[in-house]
Amino acid sequence: MAPEPERTLDRPQQPAQPDLDEILHSVAAGDHDAFATLYDAIAPRVFGLIRRIVRDPALAEEVTQDALLEVWRTAHRFDEERGSAVGWILAIAHHRAVDRVRAEQAATDRERRTGTASIAFDEVIAEVTVRLEHQAVRRCLQALTAIQREAIMLAYYGGLTYRDVAERLGAALPAVKTRMRDGLIRLRDCLGVTLG
Amino acid sequence: MTDIHTLAGAYALYATDELERTRFERHLAECPSCAAEVAELSETMAALSDVTAEAPPPGLRAAVLARSAATPQAPRAGQRPAFRLAGLRSRRLVAAAATFIVLGGAGVAGYQIASHSAHSNGTQASAENKQIAAVLTAPDARLHSATATDGGHVTVVSSRSLDEAVAVIARLPSPGPNHTYQLWLISQGNPRSVGVLAAGSTAATELLSGVRGAQAIGVSREPAGGSATPTQPLVAQLSLT
Repeated sequence: MAPEPERTLDRPQQPAQPDLDEILHSVAAGDHDAFATLYDAIAPRVFGLIRRIVRDPALAEEVTQDALLEVWRTAHRFDEERGSAVGWILAIAHHRAVDRVRAEQAATDRERRTGTASIAFDEVIAEVTVRLEHQAVRRCLQALTAIQREAIMLAYYGGLTYRDVAERLGAALPAVKTRMRDGLIRLRDCLGVTLG
Repeated sequence: MTDIHTLAGAYALYATDELERTRFERHLAECPSCAAEVAELSETMAALSDVTAEAPPPGLRAAVLARSAATPQAPRAGQRPAFRLAGLRSRRLVAAAATFIVLGGAGVAGYQIASHSAHSNGTQASAENKQIAAVLTAPDARLHSATATDGGHVTVVSSRSLDEAVAVIARLPSPGPNHTYQLWLISQGNPRSVGVLAAGSTAATELLSGVRGAQAIGVSREPAGGSATPTQPLVAQLSLT
């Protein structure tokens, strides 16, 4: 579980989270009540993340349904040795949202090959950044270099591959890979995220 | 530190192409420290998710729960048991697991609503399957569930806007020779037959139409072929209101 020193500071009013690892194991055993409990605990984070990536609220609703159904269907694959339930669920949500964005982008590209930047990533990133202003994690993000931060944001919220990021930032591929990794490591250390 | 290891960040951000992802996953399988790093990095991004959290639309909860109620879970790989005994803490949970096993069985496998576009097979689904899917994903879908008096489960997903419901009957005890189970829609206390299971059958998935005015759905044990009105006490009754 992630220790909370940075993140709890700004939200002492947050109610205690139920043990989602435990609940996810019950879901894996086919427990529908546990799945309802899991939904209540996790849906705002899943929907919020997906909406930021796919942007259209109706599409976000559809992708959220698909992602949560995948959680239901494959809950037995969750392995607490390899991360928290929240991390596992949000990775599924993130992948499904990015898959959708990339599929739509590929379709658009086939229709009209007019170059790049048909998706307004900047808006998404600006919106996320504004929300971050009010959070303790802001300090951690500010500890990154501008280019580390941008590479991570473009990939995670914009759904870009590191090749797309390199092209967009006019940087070399190895440099972008390194910045993503170094940036994430710095963010991890600042937030105090550890496993086990 | 191998060269491929520098991909850990991009991999955790889901920012590689598929080929690289497959290659990197092979690498992870033989590099525990890399796997641990990737896990922590993706956990790091998940830690930002309460920053972007927002209330989902009101109909989403019912839609997700309805779809999960009608979707079998993926089979486990290898020799692992069908469900985790350690996770079973109550009889209720056992019953839920039993429902899940039955839902995963052949009886309703045809009604699986795939969660992935890659798995969905709209062209092959029968009209009834499509109708069932429509009920399960209706914005106003509601889930009702009951345990039958002598064991077994009845789960109903109803949609007022579509005027339809899907009833999933699972693991009822055998109705006995020359007997069957029959489904009833109950309006103003009057039962109307909406389906008779095959003689001896203990599980079924039924699409029910014209549910809007009904207050309840009931299941009774009847002589083979069904009855005009229930001749025995209902073994399960679910309120739709």
